[in-house]
Amino acid sequence: MTVFLASIGFGLVTAAVLAIASVGFTLQFGVTDVLNLAYGAIMIAGAFIAYAVNQAGTSVWLGLAVAVAACSAGSVLLNSGVYTPFQRRGTSPITMVIVSLGMTLIIEFSVQAIAGGTGVSYTMGQGRTFHLGGLILTTVQLVIIALSLVIMAGVHTLLRYTRLGKAMRATAANKNLARNCGIRTSRVITITWALTGGLCGLAGVVFAMDSGSFDPTSTDVFLVLILAAVFLGGPGQAYGAMLGAAVIGIATEVSAAFIPADYKYVAAFVVLLLMLGVRPAGLLGARA
Amino acid sequence: MFYVINLLIYAGVDAMACLGLSQQFGVAGVTNFGFIIFQAAGGYTAAILALPPKSANGGFQSYIGGWSLPFPVPWIGAAIVGGLIALPFTFLVGRRLRGDFAAVGLLVTAVLLNLLATNYVPLLNGDSGLSLIPQPLQGEYSPQSTGYQWAFVAVALLLAAGVFLFVRRITESPYGRTLRAMRDNDVVADSLGKNLLSLRTGMLVLGGAIAGLSGGVLVSYITTWSPAAWGYAETVVLFAAVIIGGAGNHVGAVLGAVLVPVGFEEVTRFIPTSNNLPPNLIPSLEWVAIGLLIVGFLWFRPQGVLPERKRVIALPPGEGKSAPDATLASVWERPRPPASRPAPAGPGEVVLEAAGLVRDFGGVRAVDDVSLQVRRGTLTGLIGPNGAGKSTVLAMLAGTLPASAGKVIYRGQDVTGVPAFRRARLGLVRTFQLASEFKRLTVMENLLSAVPGNRGDSLRGAIAGKRYWKRDEAAAIARAQVILRRFGLEGVANSYAGDLSGGQRRLVEIMRALMTEPSMLLLDEPMAGVHPNLARRIGNELVALCNEGMTILMVEHELAIMDEFCDPVIVMAEGAVLAEGTMQQLRGRSEVVEAYLVG
Repeated sequence: MTVFLASIGFGLVTAAVLAIASVGFTLQFGVTDVLNLAYGAIMIAGAFIAYAVNQAGTSVWLGLAVAVAACSAGSVLLNSGVYTPFQRRGTSPITMVIVSLGMTLIIEFSVQAIAGGTGVSYTMGQGRTFHLGGLILTTVQLVIIALSLVIMAGVHTLLRYTRLGKAMRATAANKNLARNCGIRTSRVITITWALTGGLCGLAGVVFAMDSGSFDPTSTDVFLVLILAAVFLGGPGQAYGAMLGAAVIGIATEVSAAFIPADYKYVAAFVVLLLMLGVRPAGLLGARA
Repeated sequence: MFYVINLLIYAGVDAMACLGLSQQFGVAGVTNFGFIIFQAAGGYTAAILALPPKSANGGFQSYIGGWSLPFPVPWIGAAIVGGLIALPFTFLVGRRLRGDFAAVGLLVTAVLLNLLATNYVPLLNGDSGLSLIPQPLQGEYSPQSTGYQWAFVAVALLLAAGVFLFVRRITESPYGRTLRAMRDNDVVADSLGKNLLSLRTGMLVLGGAIAGLSGGVLVSYITTWSPAAWGYAETVVLFAAVIIGGAGNHVGAVLGAVLVPVGFEEVTRFIPTSNNLPPNLIPSLEWVAIGLLIVGFLWFRPQGVLPERKRVIALPPGEGKSAPDATLASVWERPRPPASRPAPAGPGEVVLEAAGLVRDFGGVRAVDDVSLQVRRGTLTGLIGPNGAGKSTVLAMLAGTLPASAGKVIYRGQDVTGVPAFRRARLGLVRTFQLASEFKRLTVMENLLSAVPGNRGDSLRGAIAGKRYWKRDEAAAIARAQVILRRFGLEGVANSYAGDLSGGQRRLVEIMRALMTEPSMLLLDEPMAGVHPNLARRIGNELVALCNEGMTILMVEHELAIMDEFCDPVIVMAEGAVLAEGTMQQLRGRSEVVEAYLVG
């Protein structure tokens, strides 16, 4: 029972990290129509930017802020410098995915060229340990969960109650129609890259905090979890991604309590393939 | 000397792998981001077939199998297993799933299978992989001898050459043309009667077998195989090779194999290693360079170094004079027993019937309870304002869109659940409102791709070779020529369809639909963007076809065309049928005039 409860605790943290990453990914895909596989590479770049700031002798939380800003700017640049020119040419979605894979190699291995291939960790205290009804969580873990909840509430407010959110949803639903209704879609798309890029950087840093030691290729497998969460909820569906992250995050960690930890991602993998094969629109997606 | 041998064998193995990928991705448009899985499977298969039982060598590695089978069984096994493990993936590449989603599914599979193979030791010795894999005939000959090594080179290069000839044979057949058509536009290929699932399955299995063989040859040479050798990124290297060499050109694939995987390994060998450099710097920069090459080539030269070449089909010029009056009707109809030939007198029995068709898009009901009948020998018009649901009805009749409710009955058979390609094979063929030509096929190839029953239009027929399908092909070319002449497009027969003007493309689409030997055509605005004179000519041809027993349902905006050619005319508005009758009758009805004719 204790093992089970402890794994629920881990699951909550993983789900919290995953939720930030997946909501960013799914909004990015939904609004901009780019299946950006370089998302994981940008995450780890963010984690290493925070590491550099941390190594300079300042708090990792300052590093987190720097990483969010850098990834946000980097994503906007990636879009305006690479993806938008390709899209303007009428490049097919599948070729866009190949371009994003190329960008994955460029970003991920640039990080490795600079940082080296060895695992590193942040210099930070884990804070007090709390026992909450059987769950054992450190201060840092609680902060991650709180951060994630704040982000989810923020995304909810954005999409539901602001003009920008409405414009984003309209652009996601039908770009041409949105443009004809007077929405400046190219600006909405740029803002979306900035926002989701920031979420991506945030996710990268909290991912690195959560996993302790990380290296430039650490997010390769985490990207699988993101994709599983996104496709479970339905690509482009923000609430779907939240649900997907909760299910996948807790399922992988709880399954690790019963099967060897090396195989914990298999559950996520099976979920992803099932969703692709049976219901590609996702649980919350519109019926095809 | 050893260095040259090593290089040549890698070149042979990489060329095989790139040819398999070129066939899948370049020719058929199946983007298999998990390609490396198949090479890995071939490698492991060859290893466990050739290895002695695991207790040998002190039992220092654990694996299943270990059958000590003699050469060439391990290589054959590698190819077979590489092909067979493609089968579970076919559910990802059907018509339902977007191509980029399927590609992501395959990529994820590659990542996860690598993770599993790394961590699960009993199956294939986990992370450290298999080693001491026996080389072919190592009992009889000494693998260290120069003669043996050169023989290995010769066999590897011969196999690569064999694979090259094999994929070229498939690509240059009618089946290969169908694959290229599917690559250019899969929805349209489906509507012309091509079974996408079967085509893609064929490509996955074929490419998998080639990749498996390359893996088998590789492990027999390097004698080790571990998960580190087949990370998901290796697939990206092969993609880079095919894109750089020229997707769809098999010579380009071989060139790409020599330039990218082989070239890179060698270039980095000559970079002086310095102790000042971080250990991972050079390999990291190599990956960065591959990423840059992919993005750079896709931007600056997406067709690659050696672009896909154009297939020019020489038309026999003399025939033109001998049969100047060949009518379209004489070439569209498929040969059938005279008894079943319909009497062309007046409107006949109901050919196509829709009963209570409904289609919802999200919360919007685009089509609401539409019932209509189309009788044999009529050119029935379907008009209505924008957004009336005309194209949606057409798509449901053709099977391109599933109906949310209701029934489609074609020649007395309920075809509601029948997929589009099967309806096309039953003779119910549609065209599209938006340009839907196969861009990178010539006009002639566009027409030929639609011909049903060509003996070379199957994997088996393609493998059987040109002699097997030559006559069918010649007959199809002759038929295509008559149609081309009829529509005045003989002059552009060997131009890429993507390079034509808008009006010419509409014509290509109508001609292509006729090549399927349909008994009923569903045309979606066939005269949009066509010069009025030509539109009239098309209209006359369509009427002539109907007089010969063909049935046509045509969506059209142009009232003048409706007036001149269509009878009866069905009017739709807001997702429902408003009225039906001759144009004369319709002009007299106030609700029709309100909804459409004025406004």
